[in-house]
Order: sequence, then structure tokens, then C-alpha cells
Amino acid sequence: MCHRSPTLKTSSLAVLLFCGSGLLAGSTATAAQTPPAAAAADSLDARIARVQAALAAGSGRPADAIRELTAILAIDPKRADAHLLLGMAYRMTGSAEMNGEARAELVQALDLDPDLVPARFLLAQLYLDLGRPAGARDTLTAGLAQHPGQPQMATLLAEAERQLGHPERAMELARQALQADPSLLQARYYLALALVDAGRRDDAIRELEAVAAAGGNPADTNLALGNAYLDAGRLEAATAALGKAVAADPARADSHLALARAYRLRRLPDRARAQLALAKPAVPAIGIAHNPLEAEFYMELGLLDLQQGRLTTAAGAFQRVLEIDPGNEAAARHLEEARRRLRAGSRPPGGGRR
Amino acid sequence: MTLHRALPLALLLVPALAPLQPAQGPATAVPGPLFTDVTASAHIEFVHQSGASADKVMVETFGSGVAWLDADGDGFMDLYFVNGAPGAPNAFYRNNRNGTFTDVTTEAGVAAAGGRAYKTGVAVADYDGDGRPDLYVTAFGPNLLFHNNGDHTFTDVTAAAGVAGGADEWSTSSGFFDFDGDGDLDLFVANYVDYRLADNPYCGLRKEGYRMYCNPTPFDGTADRLFRNNGDGTFTDVSRQAGIANPAGKGLGVAFCDIDRDGDTDVYVANDLVRNFLYRNNGDGTFTDIAYAAGVGFDSNGKPQAGMGVDCADLDGNGFPDIFVTNFADELNALYINRGDGTFDDASAMPGLKSGYPALGFGIKLFDADNDGDLDIYVTNGHVIDNIQLYRPGFSHAQRDLLYENTGGKFRDITDLAGAALRTPRIGRGLAVADFDNDGDLDVVMSSLGERPVLLRNDTTPRRNWLEIKAEGRSKNTAGLGATVRLRTAAGVQTREINNVASYLSASDVRLHFGLADAPAAARIEITWPRGATQVLTDIPANQLLIVREP
Repeated sequence: MCHRSPTLKTSSLAVLLFCGSGLLAGSTATAAQTPPAAAAADSLDARIARVQAALAAGSGRPADAIRELTAILAIDPKRADAHLLLGMAYRMTGSAEMNGEARAELVQALDLDPDLVPARFLLAQLYLDLGRPAGARDTLTAGLAQHPGQPQMATLLAEAERQLGHPERAMELARQALQADPSLLQARYYLALALVDAGRRDDAIRELEAVAAAGGNPADTNLALGNAYLDAGRLEAATAALGKAVAADPARADSHLALARAYRLRRLPDRARAQLALAKPAVPAIGIAHNPLEAEFYMELGLLDLQQGRLTTAAGAFQRVLEIDPGNEAAARHLEEARRRLRAGSRPPGGGRR
Repeated sequence: MTLHRALPLALLLVPALAPLQPAQGPATAVPGPLFTDVTASAHIEFVHQSGASADKVMVETFGSGVAWLDADGDGFMDLYFVNGAPGAPNAFYRNNRNGTFTDVTTEAGVAAAGGRAYKTGVAVADYDGDGRPDLYVTAFGPNLLFHNNGDHTFTDVTAAAGVAGGADEWSTSSGFFDFDGDGDLDLFVANYVDYRLADNPYCGLRKEGYRMYCNPTPFDGTADRLFRNNGDGTFTDVSRQAGIANPAGKGLGVAFCDIDRDGDTDVYVANDLVRNFLYRNNGDGTFTDIAYAAGVGFDSNGKPQAGMGVDCADLDGNGFPDIFVTNFADELNALYINRGDGTFDDASAMPGLKSGYPALGFGIKLFDADNDGDLDIYVTNGHVIDNIQLYRPGFSHAQRDLLYENTGGKFRDITDLAGAALRTPRIGRGLAVADFDNDGDLDVVMSSLGERPVLLRNDTTPRRNWLEIKAEGRSKNTAGLGATVRLRTAAGVQTREINNVASYLSASDVRLHFGLADAPAAARIEITWPRGATQVLTDIPANQLLIVREP
């Protein structure tokens, strides 16, 4: 049975592409319809179909798919469907360093078969993950020219437009997608994000609650919902939602960071610090844009230290934020506060050193 | 059918133009190659300008190439340096035949200082078959083709030839070869990423002094280009129909070799952080990328590497060209050993090559540095992040070169033994080799980012025997590019190709060089010309430049 996710993280890509979404036109879809058992001869079509089925079912390891697909491409390097699946398999490794190769494979797939809509869709998703919404917009616009009104591409385009700073356009696109397919949770999720950006927090919460209730991707949905609750000052609801987000994907630093923030605001410093320990960002690779989470991590650490009266370490954390982001006015303000309290030898009201 | 002909009339044996050094006989102690920095004494005063800015425009850090060419046909290799920054002139140095050079850029008309392009690489070949080598300069912006007029001047013929490429393309390494076997030279141009000056992302910490050059991951690749020579001074872009226009490519290095020894030239493209390409020439005007099948696209873990420079030549003496790719710091340089059956073994982790791991390699040449009869490996290094020490203590922008001696198919790092010049850190980029003083050994020139280039004279002693071959083709391919030469001595057979395209952004001496070790002569030389004729020469005495005309 097909299950639609509100977001397009790697694990859901296969589901999305292989579950009658309308994106199945093209050679990949044709191959998908070939039952592996029917492929008696070990033809390339049969081998591709087996890989495709495994990826769609979530069975087997991406590494196995990569090995098989590269073997297939060694025989016929012009198989667009194999390039598409290879790009997908690289994505499913979850390795950021393979994103470049994933994109390369998708680009090759499209170059060989410009009508291969799933490749265009995955490529747009990659652009979004790489922080290049303009690339996603261009790719999706081209896809929509081929398949006007296709709701999932319209949905992703909504997110691209939101990231480009056009929440109204994003809402319009998401609503168009929902009109075409009201069950599209992902469109509702992106609509909610656009509502947040447009300053309509309460409307956004309603949409996110609906997505969460429908069983949409709990990691993304609950993170967004938890953040919205935090913004609304609904700390207990935020803690609950963020707890679900963390449980759904314990590897995500942004969820731990948000949960730490919720605990700090509820004055539960030990729990906050435990979450922060799980949120520490990895050392960024050389030559990339800096991970914005790193500044957020140090800001949260500083605020927690400040709350607990650890003024020296708080000042150090705020300084670290300013090293990463010299224009961060909040960090500068908090740093000044920490220094002022250090000078005054003050203790935090209601707090104390452990 | 292979032709075996004795063609004495087509063969000219010409003594080397500089006084020959006699062979010293069998060496008992072998100190290995020795290079001396003669940049200053050779009067090379060019200083590269990268255009480095606080904005960390990516192209600033990729440097520029260098080329050897005998522009005036006097038998001595002249030097051409590409500059980087927009408006900064390239430099052309005439070889004075006495170990010095004279800057003749202005009179030659090859400064290429106009426009707003960042210039990158250079290729050399006689594209119009008039017997004189021409220059092709690549750029982030329109590329340039300079026709050699034969009177010490060049003319920019880019527009008429139709080889400028895309106005906003970032072209890198390039080279001429006869891909379709029609007798004239076509042009392959590697392109890097789709980069816009106006859309230059901020990478690194937002702290003063910490901004760094971005890696290519955020940017789209761009297709390479293949221009077919129309035979009338113009070219046609046949990239797509030839099958080399893969838009995923982020090409930096290009090398030509007949990988499968089927008589036509194949193309290897080193890409940055996406897999490399190996285009097998199908012999019908098209190519097939066989990197997956050959096992030369990724590292041994199946991951793409940050390919920079590349050369291919027969390192292990099995007659098939191997491939060496320079990569990023914290990556091994890649050595793919050609098994001769269309597949390669990844020998990158060979113990003798591990010193390349912390270095960021660019220019690379496989050549016989000590004339002992096998090919050694020279790599010039330099980080792309100029403030790398802020992020990775212990790393540095300037890095030392690496020289590996071939010891029977295994390698030994002999950098420390090869002269003080090799121990001097530099921000190495382009690299090319030539016997610029015609003394029978190959010298090295390297471009250094934002600095003076380095000319290293090969002063290896004891001197061993050698042979150099200058091919003269009968078609418009006047240098015989793509010919395969098999030279036999008692020690075995050396297989080489006439080909000046490899390394990074650079072009080397088109004359073929063989070290003969102690052999006083080549017992047999077999030349297979690009158009199929095979020529056999026997008992050719060592220590001379042999001019061989295509039958």
C-alpha cells in the first residue's frame, strides 16, 4: 500500500515515485511495471526492474543498488532509467558527500531522456537540500511545462518559492496542488511553512496539526509544529511535538536543538543540556557554506549558560556565534549582558551555579 | 592491415641541437633525478596574478596553465604563461638557445589582456596544418585561438574559427587531437561549473579573514565541448553528436591516450567531486563513456574524488596507458593500472604513493625524469583555500611538489632527494615538461598561483642515454599527434604516444622523449601513425633528436 509523506526525505522518495502519483510516466515507470519474476532472462530491463522494486519497497541496501546499477551502466552507459535510479540510490545512502554524484546522475538521466519526470523532481529536491531554491524553481518550472498542473511538482515548487522569499506565491501553489489532490499532505505541510513565513502562525499551526493527525512525516511535521508552538508560547505542547520529532528521527540535530530550547524555556536545564549534547553540529566540510545550525547551537548553549549563571561560558558561546555570524544582534546583546553581569558579579534570579 | 615498411628516405637522423652529453656507462650508484631552479637565471620574470579578492571568487584560486611550444621553429622550446586576473597579460618567452629566455609577448601579440575574462589554460597544436604551432587559451569567459603567423607574431582568429565556447563558460584544460581520423586536428575543451560572478555564495565562517573559496558542490556542472576541424580554418561544435556533452561534468583535467590500443585517441576527463569520464573513441566520430566499465570513475570505495590534473602513459611497461589523477587534500591521488582488457586496477593505495594524501595535487606529468627507461611521476601541489590554516592547523596554502621514482611498476617518493627546489612550498597549478635546453633530459615548468613560475632544469647525474623523436606528419596533423611509438632496447619495450595534452591547464613538449638507461642504441623503433601506417627503424644510436616523417 502506498503511503504519502509530507516531505521528500530520502526514505520517502521511493514511495513517492513509485506509488501512482502521476510522476510515473516515462521509462522508469515502464520498467516498474515489469514483475521481476517475469524477467526470466537476465536482461538489463529485468535487472533495472529488480533494483527499482527493491528501492521502492525499501528492501535491500543502497550500496547493493549502487553496485548493481553501476554494473548495468558499465554495459550500457546510456540507460536513463539506470542513471535515475543510481541518483536515487546515492540519495538514499544519506551521505551528504554523495549528493554531488546523485545530482550528476540525475542530470545525466535528464540529458538522456528529458521526459524523465522523476529525475526532474528528484533534482529539484536536491537543489532545495543544497540551499539552491532558484535551481529547484527552474527545474520544476520546466517539469510543469511538460506536465501542467502536476500536483507534486507544484507542491515542491511552492516550497522553492517559499525559500526564495515568496510566501504568498508559495501558498498559491500549495493550494493549487491541494485542489488537484486534497490528500496531498506534503502540500499542506509546505502551505503551513509558507503561512509561518507570512506571519500567520495560528493558521500554520492548524495546518500542521492536521498533517500530524493524518500521520504525515512525523519528524518534519512535529519539528515545524513544535517551533510554531514555541513561538506561540505554548511550551508544553511544543515539548510534546518536539519529543515526537526527535523520536521519529533521532539523528536530526535541528530537532534536538528545538527541544533543548523548549526545555530551557520551561526552566528544565538538565534536560535542555542533554538535548544540546545531541545537537552539536559536525565540523563543516572545507569549502561549503556554513551550517546555520552551528550558530543556533552556540546561541542556545549561551542562553542556557546565561540562564544558569554560567556567565563566562555563556560569553564564550555568544562570542562563538558572533565568529560565525558577526551580524547577529541577539548574540551581541546577550554577550553584553553576560559581560555586564560578570562585571557586577551578579547571580541569575532564581538560578545558581550547580 | 598493418604496414611494416623500411623507409629510409622518410627518415632524417638529426643530431641534437645542443652539444650532446655522452653516455656515462653503467652507473653503480644511482642518486636519482636532480632538478635546479633556474627561473631567475633564465630571465623568467613573469608573475602570475590570480585576481585574489575578499569576495573569494572561485576562479581566482584555480590558477593558470603553462605551455611549451617551438613557435619559431628553431628547435628550441619557447614558453607561454597564462595569467589569471582579467586584464593581466599572459606572457610569451622566446628561448634564446643558451638557457635564457626573452619576453616577446608584445611583439607576438598573445597577451590576451583585453576583456573581462579570467584566463585559465592553454593548448598548443598546429590546427591549420601550416607547420607552425598555434595557441588556444581557455578562460572563464570566451576562449581564444591565436594563429601562428610564422613571423614571430600571432593573430587572434577566434571569431572566424568559432571556438570561443560559451561566453559565460568556465573552460579549463583543452587539447587538440584528430578524433575522427580525417587528418586534421580537432579540439576538446573541458568545462568546469556553471558559475556566476553575481551569484557567489559565501562559504566559511562569517568572521573577518575566514571567508573561504567554495567547493563545487553547490554549482551545476557544464558539458565539455568538442570542436570538429572543418579543414578550412573553422570548427563545428559536435559535442552532443559525438557523445561527450555530459552536463554533469565538472572538468578540470584532460588527457588523451589510446587506452585500448585500437589506433584512435580516447579522452579522460578529471572531474571535481563528480565521477571522472573515460570516453572511448568508437572510431566513427562518436565516443562512449566507459568509466563505469573500466573502473576509472571513482575511488576504490565508489566515491567520486576531487580530480584536478591527469596524465596517462604506460607506467608498468605492459604496453597500455595507465592513468594518474591528482586529487584534493585528504584524498589519495588516483593511479589506475590498465589491464589491457578494458578494465583498470585501482593502485592508488600503493605504499609508495601515500605521501600524496595530505597534498592537494594539480599539475601532473608522467615522464622519465632520470632517463632510466621508465616513467616517473611529478606532481605539483597547492591548496585551493588560501586561509586553510585557520580551519585545518597543519595545512598550508603553499605545498611541496612530489616526485615519485618508478621502481619496476612500484613507486618511491624521492622528493627530498631531487634538489632543494622541490622542497620549496609553492601554490602549484599548471605543470609542463620539455627538454628546453636540448640536452637530452626533460625539464619542468610550473605555474604558481599569484607568484612567479618555477623553471626546473634537469641536472640529473650520472647522465644516461636518451632519444628524442620529433614526428612530422604528412597530413594537416603536422606533429603526428596520436602516433604510437614502441622503442625496444635490451631492457624491454617502451610504449609512448605523441601527445602534448595532459596535466592541468598545460601543454608539454610535443617531441617524444625516451630514456635509454645504458643502452647505446634503440634496437627497434616502431611508429604507428594516426592514419595507420607503421614505420620501423632499427639500430638507432642514442643521444640524438630523431626527426621522423610520416611515410
